[in-house]
Amino acid sequence: MGNKQTIFTDEQLDAYQDCTFFTRKEILRLHGRYHEMAPNVVPMDYTKDPDVKLPMQLIINMPELKENPFKERIVESFSEDGEGSLSFNDFVDMFSVLSEMAPRELKAIYAFKIYDFNTDNFICKSDLEKTLNKLTREELTAEEITLVCEKVIEEADMDGDGKLGFADFENMISKAPDFLRPFLPGPVQV
Amino acid sequence: MTSMRHGSEYSRDLPRVNVLSRSQYENSTDNFSFEPEPELAYSLPSTFHLLDRPYSHGFSNVSEGFIQRHNRRPSDEISVTSSSPFEMDPVCREEKDLVGNLASMSTSERIKAIQKMPETMKKKREIRNKVLKEITKKTRHHSTRLSRCTQCLQGTAVLFRRFGNSLSEYSHLLQLWHKTLKIIGAKFGTSVLSYFIFLKWLLTFNMFSFLINFSFIIIPQFFAAEPNNLSFTGLELFTGAGYFQQTVLYYGFYTNATISKIENGPPYNMQLAYIFTVGIYFVICFLILLFSMAKSFCRNFINPQTYSGNASKLLCTWDFNITNEKAVKLKQKNLGTQIKEGLTEVNQEVLYFSVTERVERIVIHLVSWVASLGTAVAACAGVYFLSINNLKLFVKGHKNDLEGQAAMLVLPVVVSLLNAFIPFFYSWLGHLERFQTPGYQIYIAITRNIILKISIVGILCYYWLNIVATSESQCWETLVGQDIYRLVLVDFAFCLLGSFFGEFLRRIIGTTVCVSLGLPEFDIGRNVLDLIYAQTLTWIGILFSPLLPGIQMISFSIVFYVKKVSLMMNCQPPRKVWRTAQMTTSFMFLLFFPSFLGVLSVIGVTVWRLKPSEGCGPFRGLSSMYAAVSEWIKILENYTASKWVVWIYHNLITSELFFFILSVIILIITYLYWQIIEGRKTMTKLLRKQIINVSLTFSFILFF
Repeated sequence: MGNKQTIFTDEQLDAYQDCTFFTRKEILRLHGRYHEMAPNVVPMDYTKDPDVKLPMQLIINMPELKENPFKERIVESFSEDGEGSLSFNDFVDMFSVLSEMAPRELKAIYAFKIYDFNTDNFICKSDLEKTLNKLTREELTAEEITLVCEKVIEEADMDGDGKLGFADFENMISKAPDFLRPFLPGPVQV
Repeated sequence: MTSMRHGSEYSRDLPRVNVLSRSQYENSTDNFSFEPEPELAYSLPSTFHLLDRPYSHGFSNVSEGFIQRHNRRPSDEISVTSSSPFEMDPVCREEKDLVGNLASMSTSERIKAIQKMPETMKKKREIRNKVLKEITKKTRHHSTRLSRCTQCLQGTAVLFRRFGNSLSEYSHLLQLWHKTLKIIGAKFGTSVLSYFIFLKWLLTFNMFSFLINFSFIIIPQFFAAEPNNLSFTGLELFTGAGYFQQTVLYYGFYTNATISKIENGPPYNMQLAYIFTVGIYFVICFLILLFSMAKSFCRNFINPQTYSGNASKLLCTWDFNITNEKAVKLKQKNLGTQIKEGLTEVNQEVLYFSVTERVERIVIHLVSWVASLGTAVAACAGVYFLSINNLKLFVKGHKNDLEGQAAMLVLPVVVSLLNAFIPFFYSWLGHLERFQTPGYQIYIAITRNIILKISIVGILCYYWLNIVATSESQCWETLVGQDIYRLVLVDFAFCLLGSFFGEFLRRIIGTTVCVSLGLPEFDIGRNVLDLIYAQTLTWIGILFSPLLPGIQMISFSIVFYVKKVSLMMNCQPPRKVWRTAQMTTSFMFLLFFPSFLGVLSVIGVTVWRLKPSEGCGPFRGLSSMYAAVSEWIKILENYTASKWVVWIYHNLITSELFFFILSVIILIITYLYWQIIEGRKTMTKLLRKQIINVSLTFSFILFF
């Protein structure tokens, strides 16, 4: 290994290492994965910080995300323009937060964003209904869905505004230690 | 009116406990204290959303930004929707404050703080560059004379960090089976993964024990070894007797002399080495178990009153670990079924049983408990009488023919058969009892299994310590060691067989003959109990057979691979949702509480009360194993240089007053902590009520 790679400058790699939870090797591996999704578009030379974005369709076909019911929301939460296209920065950021080294609070923040379908900073009833549909593949009837969502809001809503703010969400997951487990797709396998 | 305040002003008045000050907790998931982790403080803008704009500032100040940023638009777009012309100033000011804060922290803290920021990568890099510029400005500003020195230091610091980073890249190679565990987790979820992680953890205990036994006891013994006159036939591998009796495998072989092979070198006192190695190993194990249990308990403890399934079921149970398509579909189906079941429970009226029905249920419960306890007692009695017969065989004489050897294996095989088949009886009883929730049924079954295993191990220990130790055999410790060796071996064989029958054959039956059964599920509870049982036997056996951890190490590794292959080939992902975090805590608790503490008491009785055999072992001729230590202290009293050791021994270790005072202090501290926890619970309740009151008050005022 050493200094033979020409994809990034040392300074860029240092910056990536400081800003994410990855090591040099993993960042280079991530670049490899990013490149192989669209070899014609993604340059091998990133020293000038090219402005390249990959559309959501390519990213949600990655094996780590393909089967995830929340794949579109995950990609949207990390994309800068909100449409789901990820630059390499966003790509690395996404896997950094999803990796097992990211602390629980950071994962909680992004989990909240993921479950917030209409991006209004609250998990309201419609968000919960969409979550439930994705979780159960639309097996429940409309009545059952409404019932469950009402129960959830009843339980978790602390300040009584009928929807879950980040505070309510954080409070609820602090009582559920299994929350740490969910966000654990492993580091990208080469 | 207070309600007309800007969200930003209100939040600024709140005490700003932002992420940056928490960086002193290195990794907040490693909090060792009794208190729940200090969660991020949040400002309360949620009630003001009616008043303020729904889109909020992209504050880069972490204490507020993470709630209010909704999509990661660059900050120049934010002020579009704001009404006040003064919005840009607070943003810049916040950022300057942040940069200043970051610049004043140490490097590692700064890196952690930047990593934790929920911003876009571009923003984080910008902030990082600004911080670095700030730092170079500061250092340039502060020291012009020492510039060369500080540059050197900074250069070396950067080099060290790069080195540390590259080391950490290779550290994952040291982790055993890292990739295998990931694959298991991806296909079967975290509950099955927890079994394998537990197995790996137990393996490290055995590895550690084997290493220190090998270095401190076995290698010195090789220098003082007596020649082995017995012949080796292949049967010894199974019975542990014969040739192995005169090897380092058993206690009886070890010398009680002080070994001095090196000319003019320090002599090596085998007695002290033996007792101290075993003692220190157990002390370290105790501490490790205690700390792991406390950490796990503190992290995973759920107040059972406030935890009810619904909200967490919805938002917290999706296991993002799973990437396999079939597993995902199965998980979704299970979640749907669970939610439906939960709903029907809610919708159902509480069943009112009539008096006769309730009495009937109680009688059935009583009868099944009596039956299960009775079976356990019967099993113990059987084992006891069988072992007494065994002893008679031994003492009568060494029969080295096939029949004699086979007779030695009867006891372990019977014990393993009891351990394997009685649990089926218990689960059948559980079906009869018709519990209200299936979860309760599982807990009752596991409890009964634990009682069975504890009683069997207990009766065996009683037999060893009371009957074998006082029998007329030549070397009772070696006999005990042989018994344990055979038990461990047969248990290992049964574990593999159980995997074969329980999973492989069951899959064949489930897919060809009786298709309604389907694929088997991996029985986590049963397998974990088997592991704990095997580890208990190993711990008991360390004193009598120092090589036993090495043997167990090999057996655990083989079990890992066999279980993994069997799992991948034969099993389907579990249907019920196991609360994994609670499960791992209870595994550790089970390992510590009946298993390890039981072992400690057995070892304690052996070391303090039993008379070692006259003709063999490192403690021959002494009145108890502990007498080696007391005699050593007597010798030390003659040297002035080691008076402090003698003092510690007499006043701290053998003095009852010291332990009494220590216990009283610990009880007082426990009581204080308990009261603090109760106080905090009351405070939480009060604060919760306050939140609701405040928000109701304000919404009332708004509509007024």
